[in-house]
Amino acid sequence: MAGLLLSPTEKVFILHGVQDDYRSDGRSNIDYRPMELETDVVSHASGSARLRLANTDILVGVKTEIDVPKPDKPDCGKLEFFVDCSANATPEFEGRGGEQLANSISNMMQKAYHSSQAFNLKQLCIFEGKQCWKLYIDILILECGGNLCDAVSLAVKAALFNTRIPFVKAALMDGGNIDLQLSDDPYDSKLLDVGSAPLLVTLCKIGDKCVVDPSAEEENCSVISLIVGLTGDRKYYYPKDADKQQSVESKCTTIGMNGPGSVAPKTLKDAINQGIVAAKSLDEALGQALLKERQQNIGIKKHSYGFLK
Amino acid sequence: MDKENAKGIGKICIPGMRLSLSNKEFISGPGTYELKGYIYATLAGILKMEADEKTKATMVSVESPRTPSVLPKAGDIVTAKVTVVNSRMVQCMILCVGSSILARPYKGILKKEDIKSTDKDRIDPYKCFRPSDVILARVLPMTEIHWYHLSTAENELGVVIAVAEGSPQGVSMVPISWSEMQCPKTLVKEPRKVARVIPENINQTMFQESKGDTEQNSK
Amino acid sequence: MPLDYRRFNGPDDSVSYKRFTDNYLKSYDELYEELIDKNSRRKDGRKLDEARSMCMFFARTDLISQAKGSAYIELKKTKVVCSVFDPREIPHQNEFSQLGQLYCEVKFAPFSCVRQRRPHAPDAEERALSVALRQALEPAVCRHLFPNYQVDVFVYILEHDGACLAAAINAAGLALANASVPMYDIITACSLAIIGEKVFVDPTEAEEHLAIMSPDTEGTNHGIITMSMMSELKQVSDFMQIGSMDVQCVTKVMEILEKECETIVPNIQKVLVLNVVQCFNQRKQLEAEAKEREAALNAKMEEWKKILNAG
Repeated sequence: MAGLLLSPTEKVFILHGVQDDYRSDGRSNIDYRPMELETDVVSHASGSARLRLANTDILVGVKTEIDVPKPDKPDCGKLEFFVDCSANATPEFEGRGGEQLANSISNMMQKAYHSSQAFNLKQLCIFEGKQCWKLYIDILILECGGNLCDAVSLAVKAALFNTRIPFVKAALMDGGNIDLQLSDDPYDSKLLDVGSAPLLVTLCKIGDKCVVDPSAEEENCSVISLIVGLTGDRKYYYPKDADKQQSVESKCTTIGMNGPGSVAPKTLKDAINQGIVAAKSLDEALGQALLKERQQNIGIKKHSYGFLK
Repeated sequence: MDKENAKGIGKICIPGMRLSLSNKEFISGPGTYELKGYIYATLAGILKMEADEKTKATMVSVESPRTPSVLPKAGDIVTAKVTVVNSRMVQCMILCVGSSILARPYKGILKKEDIKSTDKDRIDPYKCFRPSDVILARVLPMTEIHWYHLSTAENELGVVIAVAEGSPQGVSMVPISWSEMQCPKTLVKEPRKVARVIPENINQTMFQESKGDTEQNSK
Repeated sequence: MPLDYRRFNGPDDSVSYKRFTDNYLKSYDELYEELIDKNSRRKDGRKLDEARSMCMFFARTDLISQAKGSAYIELKKTKVVCSVFDPREIPHQNEFSQLGQLYCEVKFAPFSCVRQRRPHAPDAEERALSVALRQALEPAVCRHLFPNYQVDVFVYILEHDGACLAAAINAAGLALANASVPMYDIITACSLAIIGEKVFVDPTEAEEHLAIMSPDTEGTNHGIITMSMMSELKQVSDFMQIGSMDVQCVTKVMEILEKECETIVPNIQKVLVLNVVQCFNQRKQLEAEAKEREAALNAKMEEWKKILNAG
């Protein structure tokens, strides 16, 4: 964060704390700060979520459209991420200022969702080789308080969990073209299987150790951070058929580094292992929160005034 | 074949090569850096070990076959060409640092009060410099983006090559006092802030002398 | 996708003719079969753990005379040119920074790829590669020596046959050293493709393509990892992974990558040493020539003096 100045002694204090797995705000190295999550906040989107992590505020909307699948993947749908760093977050984002950050985040998300083991694009297929769903995932950064990647990935997963895709009632073949008839009942729709969707965990290297979800002060002490994308576990999101499936080990779908520094190979290995532990607990918490929210929303139409509470 | 060629050149270094211990006997010089008690090379070139007589230490440095991509640092002597003169300051393009020629000219600025060390409030830049003069100056600490602050407030610094108005091209003036130069052809006298040393080969002696000065100044 | 309207871009919906060839319609398994023959050799005769750096590595410097430093690296069919320029002002900068910046740009030649023609305007992949390149190089360069200025690194990929990021990093490291940009260490990079149990060191484009594709069977590892290292300092400067693999696989593969990065170092060192020797020989030759000329001039002067004195 700009304008934050730390003296060398303060930095040493933070560094020693991290070394002993005890951070200045009382967390351990793999603890996140409290978050607020809310789904179904935007009425015109198929699915949406808003996440607030400390001072970071993310709003995600999913729009669905019909597209022609790629010729080399005729049975797969499409997924596209757009990140918009609005100038509301910080004046530095004004004009094209936030473009680089936005690109790097959307790139990271695209890479994390690339593998079919992370998100199965086959569930977006309508008619093999002819028609498929294309999901536009628009990520709006309303306030920027650090740790954007983690917050974005959580919000995206929540929004996808919340996304409803209308059923196709009938299809008419007219020559080479296809006419689709979709049901216009908003509740006559299917939900996506997003159990294995990846979460990004940013590990900030301080000294020889790494911490997740760094505060602004901690970010100031670190020259490099590692971003690890790890697949989630379906059992947290679909507890009904949990007995059918054994617990799957989470897999790395993407790893990247960010910052001007470098790390020793051993630290890198430790960081990845630490990321897995953090991602697992995060995934479990997200699953519980989403299920709880869904339970509450059944039956009652939610009335909410001013969602940016 | 490589070995035969390499003979007589000296020890060849490449970036990241560990050169020696770093202690009282060995100091890291240009083209090297210190890390955890050792000196490493940052350039590809030839190893040079120079003994400093005063401190009895050996300066370890690496000499690159081509000019290193470094910029003027605070304290360096630079050669610059004056481009703009106004009542508050003089702008110039820095062409050389020490004895090495820069691949790209960098912008330098010489403020009115940094021109001379004496009589600071009565300095008139118009009587010290003219556009197209070649000057020697020392680099001051950087305070502005993209502009190097310079100073000529030393006897050895100031105008080295200047052509009087109306003189034919290539006939540069000869210094006749601290503050005046004269054209040998047209005998026109013009005021300048003249640099003291103008021996036969400017580069060598000037550079060494000024280097000696910096060392003394720093002590 | 921004289009360049100054040139003719062809119809928007054009499709490569390769789409209609038999090759295109091959299934995953067929493609997989093709990669390795019975003796577990790859298509180009390499073993699985054999990098191209061992046998088909070609590198040279100083091929672009306008640039301060340049390098060309060829890993069989992957060909990369890199040039490095002197520090220059950072455009649109308004903040004082103690450290200099590296500006990296990776560009594919329009005809460099097998599958599609590359657009003229930089696309997402090129931008991602540029960011990765910068990430890999930044820790190796002594940036405090050029505050407020930037060093430009341009990489042009002439032909892409896999491991192009690794090749770009290697080339850029070499070009930076060639340009005498002060560096903490030599930087090398290596890439791996993982398909199931098999690990392809320094993959070709076909291998990379298959590694990116998701296999039909659940739970198999697949993906690509690129790692760049500073060998003397034993530091990882960039680590990029894409695909899906478990952690044991990642850690196991890291050791292979580390080893491979080490094996490239002597190659780079050799080029740099040769370079220095060449430069010094050139200088020596020039000095000798200058001396010769001076001697000749002196002799002439003596001759004239004699004539003058005599006259």
